[in-house]
Parts: sequence; structure tokens; C-alpha cells
Amino acid sequence: MGPFLQYTINGLTVGSFYALVALGYTIVYGIIRLINFAQGDLTVVGMFLGWSLLTQFGIRLLPLPVALFLAFLIPMLGTAVTNVVILQLAYKPLLKRSLLAILITALGASLVLQNVVRLIFGPQIQAYPDIVPLNGFGIGPAHVSYLQVVLFAASILLMLALYLFTQGTPVGTAMRALAVDHDAARLMGINVDRVIQIAFVVGGLLAAASGVMLGIYYIQIQFNNGFLLGLRAFTAAVLGGIGNIPGAMAGGMIIGLLESYTAGYISSKWQDVVVFGVLILVLVIRPMGLFGERVAERM
Amino acid sequence: MQAAPPVRERVAFGWLRDTRLGQVWTRLPFWLRTMLLGLVAALVLPAYGDDYWTRVAVGAAGFAILGLGLNIVAGYAGLLDLGYAAFFAIGAYTAAILMVNFHWNFFLTLPVAVTVTGLAGAILGYPTLRLRSDYLAIVTLGFGEMTRVAITNCDYCGGPNGIINIPFPSVPGFTVDDLPATVAQGFFTQQDAFWVISIFLLAIALIFAYHLAHSRIGRGWVALREDEFAAEAVGVPTLRLKLLAYVMGGMWGGLAGAFFATRIYAIDPTSFTFATSVQVLILIVLGGLGSLPGVLIGAVVTVVGPELLRPVADQRILIYAIALILMMLFRPQGIWPAVRRKPKPFYGLEEDEPDKLAARILREHQEQEAREDKKHEGAGHKVAAVGEPILVVEGLSQQFGGVKAVDNVSFEVLRGEIFSIIGPNGAGKTTVFNCLTGVQRPRSGKVVFNGRSIRGLPAHQVAARGLGRTFQGIRLFRQMAVFENVMVGIYGKHRTMTWQALLHTPGERAEEQRTLQEARRWLQFVGMESASGKLATELSYADQRRVEIARALASHPRLVLLDEPAAGMNPTEKQELVTVITRIRDLGVTVVLIDHDMSLVMRVSDRIMVLDLGRVIALGKPAQIRENPRVIEGYLGRDDDEEDAIGAAGA
Ligand SMILES: Nc1ncnc2c1ncn2[C@@H]1O[C@H](COP(=O)(O)OP(=O)(O)OP(=O)(O)O)[C@@H](O)[C@H]1O
Ligand SMILES: [Mg+2]
Repeated sequence: MGPFLQYTINGLTVGSFYALVALGYTIVYGIIRLINFAQGDLTVVGMFLGWSLLTQFGIRLLPLPVALFLAFLIPMLGTAVTNVVILQLAYKPLLKRSLLAILITALGASLVLQNVVRLIFGPQIQAYPDIVPLNGFGIGPAHVSYLQVVLFAASILLMLALYLFTQGTPVGTAMRALAVDHDAARLMGINVDRVIQIAFVVGGLLAAASGVMLGIYYIQIQFNNGFLLGLRAFTAAVLGGIGNIPGAMAGGMIIGLLESYTAGYISSKWQDVVVFGVLILVLVIRPMGLFGERVAERM
Repeated sequence: MQAAPPVRERVAFGWLRDTRLGQVWTRLPFWLRTMLLGLVAALVLPAYGDDYWTRVAVGAAGFAILGLGLNIVAGYAGLLDLGYAAFFAIGAYTAAILMVNFHWNFFLTLPVAVTVTGLAGAILGYPTLRLRSDYLAIVTLGFGEMTRVAITNCDYCGGPNGIINIPFPSVPGFTVDDLPATVAQGFFTQQDAFWVISIFLLAIALIFAYHLAHSRIGRGWVALREDEFAAEAVGVPTLRLKLLAYVMGGMWGGLAGAFFATRIYAIDPTSFTFATSVQVLILIVLGGLGSLPGVLIGAVVTVVGPELLRPVADQRILIYAIALILMMLFRPQGIWPAVRRKPKPFYGLEEDEPDKLAARILREHQEQEAREDKKHEGAGHKVAAVGEPILVVEGLSQQFGGVKAVDNVSFEVLRGEIFSIIGPNGAGKTTVFNCLTGVQRPRSGKVVFNGRSIRGLPAHQVAARGLGRTFQGIRLFRQMAVFENVMVGIYGKHRTMTWQALLHTPGERAEEQRTLQEARRWLQFVGMESASGKLATELSYADQRRVEIARALASHPRLVLLDEPAAGMNPTEKQELVTVITRIRDLGVTVVLIDHDMSLVMRVSDRIMVLDLGRVIALGKPAQIRENPRVIEGYLGRDDDEEDAIGAAGA
């Protein structure tokens, strides 16, 4: 029972990061049906921006809350801008054309981001400073660090904010309308281009938010972390039903837990096999994912 | 999703084709041409190339085989596969284990590797058949990762270190090492031997891919890619074809993998990562999705390009990625896009005299009907005679959420009549069609067609039972030529097997010719022969509707369901449509028609059923319907003006 609780706590922490990245996938996918492969690498961009702020620009001299605030805010703005630039330069001209061409472009963008990070920050592993104390408290035999609590709470808050944003604001409603039918949305007077941009801004904000959290939690970071991260997050988004916001959150948590249990009870070597095995099993039973709705084809 | 704009017809090297030699050349069968070109390539490179570039060329040939395989899955069938490297890996490991642990000859491992990867294709394909394309992307990606992880963690496969000492291919009694040292070093090196083998394997892969692409199977794949629902509804067994695409794609990957194993001498899991899958995908998109020359060009570009960038080794991938993005932005259709239009699709076929055509179609149709009736009776089913009910619907209901789209609808359609269904928008007419044709599964109710229940059958089987249909929002296969669209309609009637298509046997060729001829006749029947070679998207609305009718008729159905065929037509076109509909009836095909144009419906129909809010509110002869107070109040009365206008213009 002891390790089980510990695995659950660790799994939920990691799962909440995955969920944040997965939300970036889901939001963009819901609107333009694009698997934005660059999302994982964008997270790494945010991770490195946060790292360089904390280690090279001396914001650590500021009081901790201010330093942390800046270490999140600036990377978030940076990745939001990057994401919109990628949209305008690379995806926009192709939106009306072949989906496969955009997919390839997204793969290209992912490679570009990854290599730019390598170029600027180097190929070696870098380490986040341990700015947040690692102590914590125990629940029975399990140990929970304050860091875990804070990060988990922060990501839940972000998700909640995003959910309220899509459900409660006019822009959010426009996003949901676009997810159903672009042309109809345009006819209703929705500025489609603007809404797509906003989705990319949100995707970018989420990327850096999760990136910096991951950095603080795992300490060690490298330019090519994006692939595995993106893969897990994308799997999470699909597991929950891609395009569906609560689905992405649940998917992220499930993947995090699966990973943690596999590492604990079997071997971390088999994480990928278990994660994908479960994904395939779920999709065979529910082709639209756990929370996705089955849309009947209209003829 | 919007399709790419139509691609202009390109006649590459047209002037060469017109020379004497060019004419002889074009008359040779494809396999012979490929083998001859392969022979030239096999001889030229060893004579001129140096070892380094020969090695690069061998790599390109290997990638081209991979590309041909993925092109079947992603290019033809339109199934996004992001884990294609898995097949490459399975093929390579199968061959390597057989060669190293069991001392098999390389050439003997090929069929085994290909069979094993074909099976792997089936295993991957089966659970994914019903998934939408984006979900497919992640599942295939997952399959690729699972395969890689499994290989890395499997001790028998050498774990992370892989398998080494994979022998060089040998022909009994001869190896390159046997060559006198002077020859081997100076002229025909081991790399040259690999080149010859790779060209031979590539030629075989190319020939089979070409044969498949130009068979009914290739046509079915493209139809499936363009519009899966429409393909299924006109008789293409889409699930089976998807599975076949995975199996075939897997086999090509296995071939490439086995060759890779022997060529590279030592394999380990790092050669089969997501990056490999992506490289193959990039290769085929860069070359031109679904285009065989495109695959070859794409292989050369993606393999040679990075080699040329070697001097800037550090920034190689960055430059490559930027080039890739630019390429997609400025030429998303690829370097050598696939062309589906044809200037003269029926070139070399015998002509049908226009006046004899109708008689000929009629005769064939009746012969076929008689044959089928006999079989049908032999199997113990009741055959509906003319004037007897051919389609019996009882208590049909369908519900979407809270909307009762179809509510307890019962009717009978008599063999040989024109039966119309009318009603206001949203009355449930199209939904009735969808429930009859197996596109949707009704909540409840009985559907009996020609003495047998068809409820719950998959749509392609319903089509095979003799129920053809058209769609309200035109659903032609957009990036296919008009004649091909009609040929897809005949899919269910094909009798040749997959192996015949692979080998392009005389029997298969003859059947293709017959199909082509038949497609032409149906196009003549609806007056569209002159547009046969165009892309479906290049036609006017009215013409597209006529092609859809030809496609629905092409399999000689017993009954056709036409969903608003007159929508968007002008009065002249409507008049022509009336002629076509009556001619269909004259063939002996029963017609069920949905339309909003009252004057047209009144003119052609034998009986009319009126639906409102999913319920039948009237059923009878046109005169009775016109007088029925409920119909006047509920439907006819509403758009009086429009009806008068159309009636006046059409008269
Ligand atoms: N796939 C679907 N999902 C949800 N509702 C549907 C679906 N298909 C049809 N409906 C609803 O069912 C009802 C009947 O639709 P249907 O398309 O059968 O009408 P129709 O008589 O063909 O109308 P029209 O003349 O406009 O073509 C409508 O309320 C429609 O909105
Ligand atoms: Mg309709």
C-alpha cells in the first residue's frame, strides 16, 4: 500500500504537466484539425527560457515569489509569440490546402525549434537551480513535497481557468463554434483568423507554463526533451478524446499514473509499451477516446 | 477539409515519346520497361561511380522501397501512418535473425521477412480500421514506439546493441570475395554488388506497386481516401481494403528492412525510430503523394540532400527542416504530383454506336438480372416480379439525440415503378435513405429487399445486393477522373483476386478493359462521355449529379435511390434529368426519388409518399397527393410561389 500511494502522488504530479501540454494540442486540434507537432518542442523552448532567466539573468536575487512570477511570465509570453509566428509563417498559407502538408510543416517546425534551442543553449544537459525547497510532509508512508503540491495546484488552476475561458467568454464560445464548422462560424460573423490566433496564443502560454514547471520539478533539461514529452501529451489528448478539454486533463492524469505504476511495479523500460497498449485498447473500445463524442456523419 | 486544387496535365518528355524509339518503348509492358531501366542503372553506376556515392545510391534505393510501401498506405489509401519504421524494423530483424542464428541465405529470408511484416500489418491494421484518420496517426506512432521498445528490451534481438555480423548476400557458388582481388578492388566492389541487388529489389517493388495502383484495388484505395463513406456506399468494402493497404505496406517495409540488414552489417534499435518514420513520410509528400515517380525523386532528394549538407554537419537538420517547410509552402503537392485526369481514357476501345447503345445496355442489364434472379431463387429467396413489392419497409425509426428524424415509417416500393419521397426540410427523407443503405443503423424497423432482410448489413453489401444510391450533397471522388468515379461503382462486381492484380495477369487486364467499357457506356447513358477524362471537381453541379447517377447505375442495381438529383439544376437540365430517370425505369430498374421540385416529382412519379417530422402523412398516386388536404396544408401550400415558378419554367 505504501509504494502505491507514493506512485499515485508522483503520477498525478507528472500527469498534471502532461495535461497542460495536452491542452495545447487539444485546443489547436479542436480548431484547425492539426496535430501541432511543435507543441512538445515549444514546451522545451519555454523550459530553456525559464532556465536562462533563473541562471543567467540574476532574477533570483529578487524575492522568491517575484522571481518565480517572472520566470513563468516571460517564457510564457515568449512561447506565445513564437507559436503565433509559426502559425503566421508556416501554417496559415496552408490552412485551406492539404492537411498532410501542414502536418509535414508542423514536423518541420518541431525540428527547427529543437535545433534552434540546441544552437543557442547547447546540446548538453542543463540543470535548473533548486530554488524551491524540497521538504514536504508525509501522508502515511508516502512523502509529498511542497513543490509537488504547488505545481499540482498551479496546473489545476490553469486548467480550470482555461475551461472557464472556453465555456464562459465570447472568444471561448467562438472557439467551440469553430470546432464544429468553420464556414458556419464565419457566416455568423466570427473573425476566424483571430480565433485561430488566440488558440495558438493559449497553446503557447500553456507550453511555457508546463515547461518551466517541468524544469523546476525534474531539474535536468535537454534540448531534445520535446519529443517524448510531446508524444506523451499527444497520447493523453487522444486518450481523452482530442478536441475535448476535460478529456485532455483526464488523459494527462491517466498517462502520468500509468507511467508511474509501470515504473514502480514492472520496469521503466516498458512504460511506452504499457501507455500505448492502453491507448490502443481504449480506442478499440471507444474509437473517439474516453470523453470524445461520436459524431454521426451527415450525408 | 478542402482538397488541393486540380493539377494540370503534364506530359513529361512528350517529344521523346513521339520518336520511333519512343513509340516502341511506350508499347512495352511496364515491368519490362522497369527491368530494362534497372539493368542500365545497375551497369552504369558501378562503371562510373565512386564507392562513397554508390553507398549513398544504395541507401536511396532502400528508402525508395520504403517510400513505395508507405505510399500505398498513406498515398493511395490515405491512412496516415507515423510508425512505418516498425515494419522496417520487423523485416530487418527477421532477416538478420534468420541469417545470423540460422545461417539462412539472404535471398531465402526475403519471402519470410515479407510474410512476417505483412502479418504485422494485419495486426496493426485490425484494431485501427474504424478509427478516424487523426486517431490513426497516434495509434500508428504508438505501434512504432512499442515495436522499438520491444526490440530494445528483447534479449534474443540483442537488446540495445542489436545484431552484428550479418552476412553479405551470397549466391551459391559465388561471392564478391571470390572475385580476383584486382577486379574486386578496382571495378566491382561490394557496394556495387549491393547496388545491383538494391536496383533489382526496387524494380520488383516498383512493378508490384504500379500493378496495384492500376488495378481495381488501387482505384478502391483512392476512392477510400477521397471519401470513405461514399466509397462504402457505392460498393467498396472499405474495411477490407484498409486492411489490405496495411498488409501490402507492411510487406514493402519488410523487403526494405531485410535488405537494410544485410547491407548495413549490424543493426540496432536506433535505426528504427520515429525519425525514420518521419523521413519516409517526408519522402513521399515531398515527391508527391500517391505518385510513383514522386517516390523515386523524393528518395533521391531526402537521401542525397543531407549528404550534400555534410560540410555544415552541425546545422544540417536545421537547414533541412527549413527547406522542408519552404517546400511545403511553395509546392504542397510535391515535386512530381500524381495525375489522375486522362486526355483520352477510352483510347483503343471499340466504339459503341449511340443508337445501339441503349439496346445494348438493356440487353446486358436483362441478362444480368435474369442470371441473378436464378441464383437468388436457387438459394431459396423470393424474387419480386414486376409490380410486386421489391422493397418492404416496416416500422422504420431513427433518432438523433432528442430528434425523432424518422418515426415509425412503413412503405412498399413495387418493382419497376418510380416512387418519390417528398416533404419539407428536415422531414427525414435523407435519413430514410441512409437507414435503407446501411450507412446508418436504424433504431428499429424491418427492411426487406428482394425477399431478404438487409437491415444491419454494411453499406457495401447492401450495394452488392442491388441497391444503388446518389447523395444529396454531391459526393464524387474529387481528385479522381470522371470515368474512374464510375469504375469505382462497379467494384462489387469484380471477380479477380489480389494476386492477379499484383501480377497484372491477362484475366485481370481483360476485366479492367470490360470495366472501362462499361463505365463508358454508363457515361454515354447519362450524356457525359465527353467529360470522362476530367476531374470530378472540374464539372458543373448538374454534370456532377449526372456522373453520380452513372456511378450508381454502373453495378446494374435493382433499385436506385436518388437524393435530390434536380437540386441546383436549371430548367433545361431538369428536363434532361427527367429523360434520364424515365430511361432508368425503362431498363427495368426501380427508382426511389427525393426531390423538392413538385412539378418534376408530379410528372415522373408513379406513387408519392409525403413525410413530415419523420412521419408518413400521405401516400398515393400524384393526383391523390395533390388533392390531399393534409399535404396541401402541411407542405404544398407553403412554397406555392416557388412551385409555380418552377412549374411554369419547366413546362
Ligand atoms: N447525423 C445526424 N446527426 C444528428 N441529427 C441529424 C443527422 N442527420 C439528420 N439529422 C436530423 O434529422 C432530421 C432529418 O434530417 P434529414 O436530413 O433526413 O432531412 P431531409 O428530409 O432529408 O431534409 P432536406 O430536405 O433538408 O434534405 C433533421 O432534423 C436533421 O437535423
Ligand atoms: Mg435530405
